Amino acid sequence: MKMRWITDIEADRQLCLHCRKLHPLTVRVCDRCGEPVHQRIPHSIPVTWSLTVAAIIFLVPANLLPMMIVKSIAGEDAGTIMDGVIYFLEHGEAGIGIVIFTASIFVPFFKLTVLFYLLLIVHFGWRRRALFGLKLYRIIHFIGKWSMLDIFVVALMVGIVQFKNLATIVTGPAAIAFMLAVLMTMFATEHFDPRLMFDKEISKKPETKQHEGIDHG
Amino acid sequence: MVALPLHPTSSQYRCPRCHALLYRRGQPFRYIIVMAVTTLALFVPLTFLPILDLDIMGLKAQSTLFEALWMVYKDGYYLIAFVSMMTGLLIPVIMMVLLLLMLVPLHFGYRPRGVALWFRLYEKMREWGMAEVYLIAVIVAIIKLLGMGTLHIGPGFVLFIFFFLTFYITTVWFNPEDIWYEDAMDY
Ligand SMILES: [Zn+2]
Repeated sequence: MKMRWITDIEADRQLCLHCRKLHPLTVRVCDRCGEPVHQRIPHSIPVTWSLTVAAIIFLVPANLLPMMIVKSIAGEDAGTIMDGVIYFLEHGEAGIGIVIFTASIFVPFFKLTVLFYLLLIVHFGWRRRALFGLKLYRIIHFIGKWSMLDIFVVALMVGIVQFKNLATIVTGPAAIAFMLAVLMTMFATEHFDPRLMFDKEISKKPETKQHEGIDHG
Repeated sequence: MVALPLHPTSSQYRCPRCHALLYRRGQPFRYIIVMAVTTLALFVPLTFLPILDLDIMGLKAQSTLFEALWMVYKDGYYLIAFVSMMTGLLIPVIMMVLLLLMLVPLHFGYRPRGVALWFRLYEKMREWGMAEVYLIAVIVAIIKLLGMGTLHIGPGFVLFIFFFLTFYITTVWFNPEDIWYEDAMDY
């Protein structure tokens, strides 16, 4: 069954992303829920680019520095994210090892790759890939928070294992870098406006009038 | 942009372009209120019941979810302690409070002045509630600790599972959009 639709840009309308009320272009603040209204998320592309690049930079120390340091009578043992995964694989807990690997290494990598791809779709106007891009966008939106798993695990271990000289666990510097990287990918996903992938024409919203006439073909 | 029929709350709608669900009515408010109150009631004992007892060579330690994060804070990792506390534990609780602030008055037939603000806060927090991730983290930590000493699961852990379940059911049942539709309220 085929249904026809018109876009908000064709109809000179804008949608409140919070309560989903449609407004004419002159409205700046939603009269139903009080949130500022824009036809597209303002500065969506530059903000998403910046946060994506920043996340990549933070991921370097996050993977090279220790996540947590176990101090015991046997000495000090500092482990990176990958060391944690290997520990589980070697100790017959392959399932947990795979969960940590997925959450801490695969998901951030996948998210950043998808964010890049989405930005390229908008940049080059690959509208035929927009639907596929939207599917990827929904996936990264859904899995993003799972990267926090290892941070929570470290926080719990540090909080629980405090046995003076016998055994103490301390947070490693990678934990901060990793958490910032994860938060940045989450902010990047939130700032990306997937509708930009579908847009054929430039918004006619009054405040963006100066862009009219520039043809991005 | 699709024009939905005039009485939109009785069935569900999908976007013709990307097939995303546009609208589906949530459960009746009275069910959601009961679930939210249960979630909050389960949270109270979580603040003092230990999630586990750990025994390493005669030295014993007990920890609640909050004590564990307090240690991280004392170590100087304020940001990690704060973000974990908010996303893992407090945002779900605040969401339940906001939900009750909206739904209880609406259920009794009047629209409080703050409802738009509560709605916006609730919508913003939805992205940042990570109770399910925190629950899995507790399980991973327990498995990790099994190798270090003798470990007993505490009542806090069982409570946390139920807390998460009722929280999850509440958020699935509640469609925040329904607070704008009069006909979605009184059934
Ligand atoms: Zn609104």
